[in-house]
Amino acid sequence: MPQFDLNEIDSKIQMMKRTAEELAQAGENFPAIARNIVRISAGIKMLEINISDVVELETPD
Amino acid sequence: MTDQIYWNPVLETLPQEKIRQLQLKKFKKIFKWTYERSKFHRQIYDEAGLKPEDIRSFEDIRRIPRVEKSMMRDIQRKDPFPYGDALCVPLEEVAVFRQTSGTTGQPVYQPDTWQDWEWWAECWSYILWAQGYRPKDRVFIPFGYNIFVAFWAGHYAAEKVGCEVIPGGVLDTKARILKIQELQATAMMGTPTYILGMAETAQMKMEIDPSELTIDKITCAGECGASIPSTKRRLEKAWGAKVYDHAGATEIGAWSFECQDQPGGLHVNDAMFLVEIADVETGEIIEESGRRGKMIITALDRQAQPCVRFDSKDVIEWSSDPCSCGRTSRLIKGGVVGRADDITKVKGVLLAPSAIEEVVHGVDGLGDEYEVIVDRVGHTDRIKLKVEVLPEAQDQCQLVECELADQLRLKTNLRYDIEICGCETLPRYEVKAKRFKDLREKSKED
Repeated sequence: MPQFDLNEIDSKIQMMKRTAEELAQAGENFPAIARNIVRISAGIKMLEINISDVVELETPD
Repeated sequence: MTDQIYWNPVLETLPQEKIRQLQLKKFKKIFKWTYERSKFHRQIYDEAGLKPEDIRSFEDIRRIPRVEKSMMRDIQRKDPFPYGDALCVPLEEVAVFRQTSGTTGQPVYQPDTWQDWEWWAECWSYILWAQGYRPKDRVFIPFGYNIFVAFWAGHYAAEKVGCEVIPGGVLDTKARILKIQELQATAMMGTPTYILGMAETAQMKMEIDPSELTIDKITCAGECGASIPSTKRRLEKAWGAKVYDHAGATEIGAWSFECQDQPGGLHVNDAMFLVEIADVETGEIIEESGRRGKMIITALDRQAQPCVRFDSKDVIEWSSDPCSCGRTSRLIKGGVVGRADDITKVKGVLLAPSAIEEVVHGVDGLGDEYEVIVDRVGHTDRIKLKVEVLPEAQDQCQLVECELADQLRLKTNLRYDIEICGCETLPRYEVKAKRFKDLREKSKED
């Protein structure tokens, strides 16, 4: 496998995810935040599919 | 970055053993998601006595009932309108409507959330990167985007990859060719039938040699043509470009692709899809190479209307050879060779329409279009094959016809009534061609 620090990348992805979730709460009555967060969250999910799911392989169900 | 040959150097080189672990883990998640949210799925799983906690291994997965397209059609008569009770998210989270082309019956509606739509583009990004699309590319899409999913995801993925995209939607064929010439587009996407038709229009009606245009790669979808060697050769010769196949479907996603090494087959995107091959007669799952069966597929990350053990009826087989590109995903030998619905017995012999195309496109002097009509006279099946002879081969009509008849007998074990038609008299298609007509059931009904 190519050399990438997947754990480090994953921890940054999780940080982004937490930030997006916090912003989603802050945007409850603020459409410009809420709707953009939906799109950003979809992008973060793609990062999870690409990286975090592989990292998660090492953790038990 | 542009030197990197993999879109995801981690997932695309993961050892098969790890890929299988990943698939199992993701399958359990999507099965639980589906069971808990889709009334339609829960009912069929309950009837089979299966709950999410029962799924622990690939053997358990094989016990899960398959979903067929006809079942999806039925659920759409139920609430919530218009999708029915396989919908797993609130209606207000549905961002995009698409529907299947209706080639095999009433179209199926497909809802997608914004996340699903991002996922479509992600799956296509794997395809485009593997086929050499890079930010320097100017991609022309000669397709009238509409309610069908075709090329929407290709468009968004090309943007994601960093290419410049030219949507060639409402232009007619000549205007599209002129726009490619004017903007010096480097890549293109389309059905093989239409891409061949464009080349014919350029040559015969515009005196433009498409191989002298700037297109250097073409991604085909919607039909199996780009995996049929003689059709691929014709496409590559006409455009002077590399032609790559890709297979996907509205209700599944973009599940496979040919890479730049053109290994004579398609890579399955194993990290995003679980592909199983089932024996057409017995339903037994085929693990070994060299045995054809129909594809049962699960999209491991699709949420709004999940695709879990969907019986696609695409006929495929595993390849035994690894690809020289280094991707560790499993290969489908020769791409999708047809649909189980289309492969039919004629005069007691199994006939796949793609085998006829392979022969027609392999005979010099024949045009790209053809039509096959199977009917029954008394108790005997009869196959009529209509072809066009190119203007430059008109004085060799008999020779061409003999060559065609010989090759057909050799490759399909059947005899045909061959009808030579005038140039450009057979129907032309912009989306999926309908060249195979089986009138036997109709004659029975009449």
